[in-house]
Amino acid sequence: MSAGAPLTALLLSLAGCASQSVQFHHLPPDTPAANNAVNLEKALALAAQAASAAKSVKPDAAEEPVLVTPADAPPLTTYDPWGKFNRSMYRFNARFDEALFWPAANGYRRLPAPLRAGVHNFFGNLGEVSSVINYTLQGRLGHGVRSLGRFVINSTLGLGGLFDVAVKLNLPKAPTGFGTTLARWGMHPGPYWVIPIYGPSTLREGIGLAADYATSYAINAADLYRGNKSWALGTLNAVDTRANVDFRYYASGSPFEYETIRFLYVRKLLIEDGGLPGSAPPKRIDPNAPAGE
Amino acid sequence: MKQCVAAIALAILFVYPAIAADTMPVEAPAVAGPATGLADLAALRATVFGTPPQDIAPLPEKVPVFQMDLALPWAQPVPAVYWFDRRLRVWFSAQDKPAPLAIVIAGTGGDGNTAKLSILRAVLYGAGYHVLTMPSPTFPGFIVSASSTGVAGDLMQDGRDLYGAIQQIISHLPRKVRITDIDILGYSLGGANAAVVKSIDASERRLNIHRALMINPPVSLFSSVGRLDKLYAITLGNGDAGVERFYQQLYATLANLYRASDRVQLDEDFLFEAAASVLRTKAEFSTAIALTFRIALINVFFAGDLYSGSGVVVDPKHPPGADASLDDTFRILRSKPFSEYFTRVFAPYYLRRRPGSTVDELIAGNRLDAIGDALRNDPDYYAQTNSDDLILDAPELDWLQRTLGARIQVYDHGGHLGNLGDRQQVTDMLDMLGGRWKERAQ
Repeated sequence: MSAGAPLTALLLSLAGCASQSVQFHHLPPDTPAANNAVNLEKALALAAQAASAAKSVKPDAAEEPVLVTPADAPPLTTYDPWGKFNRSMYRFNARFDEALFWPAANGYRRLPAPLRAGVHNFFGNLGEVSSVINYTLQGRLGHGVRSLGRFVINSTLGLGGLFDVAVKLNLPKAPTGFGTTLARWGMHPGPYWVIPIYGPSTLREGIGLAADYATSYAINAADLYRGNKSWALGTLNAVDTRANVDFRYYASGSPFEYETIRFLYVRKLLIEDGGLPGSAPPKRIDPNAPAGE
Repeated sequence: MKQCVAAIALAILFVYPAIAADTMPVEAPAVAGPATGLADLAALRATVFGTPPQDIAPLPEKVPVFQMDLALPWAQPVPAVYWFDRRLRVWFSAQDKPAPLAIVIAGTGGDGNTAKLSILRAVLYGAGYHVLTMPSPTFPGFIVSASSTGVAGDLMQDGRDLYGAIQQIISHLPRKVRITDIDILGYSLGGANAAVVKSIDASERRLNIHRALMINPPVSLFSSVGRLDKLYAITLGNGDAGVERFYQQLYATLANLYRASDRVQLDEDFLFEAAASVLRTKAEFSTAIALTFRIALINVFFAGDLYSGSGVVVDPKHPPGADASLDDTFRILRSKPFSEYFTRVFAPYYLRRRPGSTVDELIAGNRLDAIGDALRNDPDYYAQTNSDDLILDAPELDWLQRTLGARIQVYDHGGHLGNLGDRQQVTDMLDMLGGRWKERAQ
């Protein structure tokens, strides 16, 4: 992340003048008409889906047995034996984000949308390589073929990945990584872990991230990881990723934000793992880390 | 929709033991009538899902916006646990020519950039206003950075803090922002706040606020929140069994929906779809509403306890540090109803601060009729509400209609804010703020 003093100075200036009694942050303009159009599209799609489900309700109901019962729900507490470290790291991440990462992403979001879409598609397309490998390791070959198809189509027809042509051919983006592979192999999420700069995770997901990075480093597509410009490209990738995450630290204003995010993140992960108790975290609670939720 | 889904997800947090209150020297205000006030199933649905996108008024393509973070001179020393809330954060959309300013205040627990505020900002900016969107005085960021007491929920005190904050904000605006007139509005509790701020300004004359509009306001603050306490007790009970069951059922439902889908990530779109399956009955909507309110209450309770030194959940001699674990505090707080905040934090604090005052006076001071004369006699107060709003009962709705006369518009449907941003609500709002309502009413 430390790409030198000039970049830091630029980003700090974007963050505003910290010593004054008032700070201004210029934001990308709101686009209410477009936002509502997206909401409308989703609502109509949902209504259409509900209508078609209603027509074929019986066959569907027979095909979809209820697997997860309320008794399978994980306990309300979350395994967080590294709570002390995690809390201070959450605070560090919040400060880092507010001072550097968010202002940089905010500035980036003011660039023309087609340009940002191109950057986002480009990095997303490189990620398809990792998805193909991991879907294969997970034994989900259909998904793997879809990712491979997307990679081939977007790298050629999509001009090196700048355009997501595949999505228009009914091949939607569905990234996966080694963390999910480990889950499919039966590994528990492990303890909650707030990773520096990256944010909420668990031990398993952290291992997955490291493996994904190692794979990308080994492949070194577009000289992104080992070339002369790897710092610049890596920074651009990070800023693009941040700009596409609709989250701001402490927008809740609440001192309970750590507990809230931890609860939601781990439940989301467990449901993605299948929601069954076999994939629940260990129930032992460290006495030094009071139970959270 | 996105916001309601997030609220439902957050609501899962609230499951856990309700602990009976200790001896209560002060009695909480009693609430009569149904816990859902005037609302039926359709009203509860509208309250949770909000205005359907197809009913939203025409919105502008682009709305410029900047964020202001202000350090206010009267703010109390910031407790370590609130290190991130030192400055009051507000959002401003400026016209590039002289224009009236609309100040918009969020409802209970809301920050200055909620989805509802975004809609109001868009339509007001589109109608030619500069727009300042403010957090609720019950939002933790406001309590820490702008409250002179730290104990939120007192209409007049919160009004005075808001009034001071607005003056500071306006004095720090860039010079190019030229303001020709000032109107103030808010939704839910923010509506009551807006009216109180105008009434303070009527005597202090520092801003010369022209018109005030209340959208779905409460009439008696404590009756409305008392109803929500009651709704919580009915849907989730006072013990942990009901709430734990709710959590487990919700988890299982979401997990099965996810398994049945072809998704590889549990994202917002999934929750958007899931909400329609999860929420169908009156009880389910009621649960979601009660839990969402309880989330806001936790923050108000914690801050009030900390600032007042009441010692209910925070040891005044050993306040939590910046990295302290708040797990235990949270677990205790999520079981505490508003009535306990009133009896153990709010009332003792304000009775101490205002020697000679009584609990009845505190309750009366938090009814809109504390500014009843102004609402009745000043033609620049307006209101919009619904005949099926869950935070009102029939006598309260009647009081609003009698007090405001032709200056209130009551819609048949919408529940609590479930029609905010729809074409009719927006048209009427702009007519009220623009001084065209009188001609229309005649």
